[in-house]
Amino acid sequence: MKKRLIVTPDLCIGCRTCEISCAFAHAREPGRPGQSRVRVYPRGEQAGMPVLCLQCEEAACMAVCPVGALVRNEATGAVEYLPQRCIHCKACVAACPFGNIAYEEATDHMIKCDLCGGDPTCARFCPSSALTFADSDAEANLARRRKRVTAA
Amino acid sequence: MFMIINGNEVKAAPGQTIMEAARAAGIVIPGLCHHPGLEPYGGCRLCMVEITKPGWKGEGSLVTSCNYEAEDGLVVDTRSKKTLASRREVLALLLARVPDSEVIRDLAAKFGVKETPYKKREDADLCIMCTICTRSCEAVGAFAITTQGRGGDKEVAPPLADTSACVGCLACARNCPTGAIPFEDGPLAMTVWDRTFEKMRCTVCGKPTIPRAMAEHFAKKAGLPVEYFQVCDACHKRQTAEAFAKVLY
Repeated sequence: MKKRLIVTPDLCIGCRTCEISCAFAHAREPGRPGQSRVRVYPRGEQAGMPVLCLQCEEAACMAVCPVGALVRNEATGAVEYLPQRCIHCKACVAACPFGNIAYEEATDHMIKCDLCGGDPTCARFCPSSALTFADSDAEANLARRRKRVTAA
Repeated sequence: MFMIINGNEVKAAPGQTIMEAARAAGIVIPGLCHHPGLEPYGGCRLCMVEITKPGWKGEGSLVTSCNYEAEDGLVVDTRSKKTLASRREVLALLLARVPDSEVIRDLAAKFGVKETPYKKREDADLCIMCTICTRSCEAVGAFAITTQGRGGDKEVAPPLADTSACVGCLACARNCPTGAIPFEDGPLAMTVWDRTFEKMRCTVCGKPTIPRAMAEHFAKKAGLPVEYFQVCDACHKRQTAEAFAKVLY
């Protein structure tokens, strides 16, 4: 089975490390969380709710794109954006029911999560293992425990 | 599959064009009518390259690299005398067609073409007939513009001056290499082909999004509920967070 980016909101401490690590990995201006592909919404006082692309099986963005600029990477399972093919109609931004693809005015391109090509930076940096990249929930739990041990 | 481009071995996948293989290998071939998302057209004639095959006798032949499929063992020269002569000729013709275009002037200067021996077109606009606009419109599925007229009178316009098929996505104007299609993407409305499309407002926050005609067209074409298009991306994302939180806690 393909690895998935597993989000466990229970563990999110709302630190937004994912936002900044994504911004360093991807953003036009590195380190600007505003250009990040993941966003943490506040949930109560000390917790967060990370929202990022779900890589839908029947993705609305892929269905609506008239030129095939959004394609499934079979190796990672991610829906990837190919800027060179894009004709900038912004239909994908309007179509995504989860708001996970955005238009960037400065570059005239769309930005969306591409799972970093198979090794998501956000999951690597998440200190509380709310974001993990694993085969299954069981393995995600294992990774979590390992991380906790090394942290202590 | 391997080709020889400018003396270097270049890998090509079956079905790839010479231009795609060359660009993937970092070899620059100029092209104005080429857009990787659209069907190759071979109209601007700028991407001409000289090809020969092992065993060919006599001269190489000039082909448009944007729609010539790669073949195993093909020998391609993107800088041969013949190629450059043809490219300069095309640029000289383009300079006469669109004397006011900065894009064309810069491109011509790159190949050493500063002046054109041809008579410059009077009342010239910026259109070079690359048809990226009409092909974009076709891809979008609106079929709102097309080329009409013949020869020197050929132009891109809505058929029979009827703009009703336009959905206001602005793909034609945004992708035009010379900026020949006037458009305006204002905060509240978009204007193209003399038609103004008022933007819909996000049903949650009221932020202007895309024209209603565009939302309806894309929803129908992709088989998606039109409600998807009525909320802006920021509100959608916040709603996602709220929905998950509600389900989980």
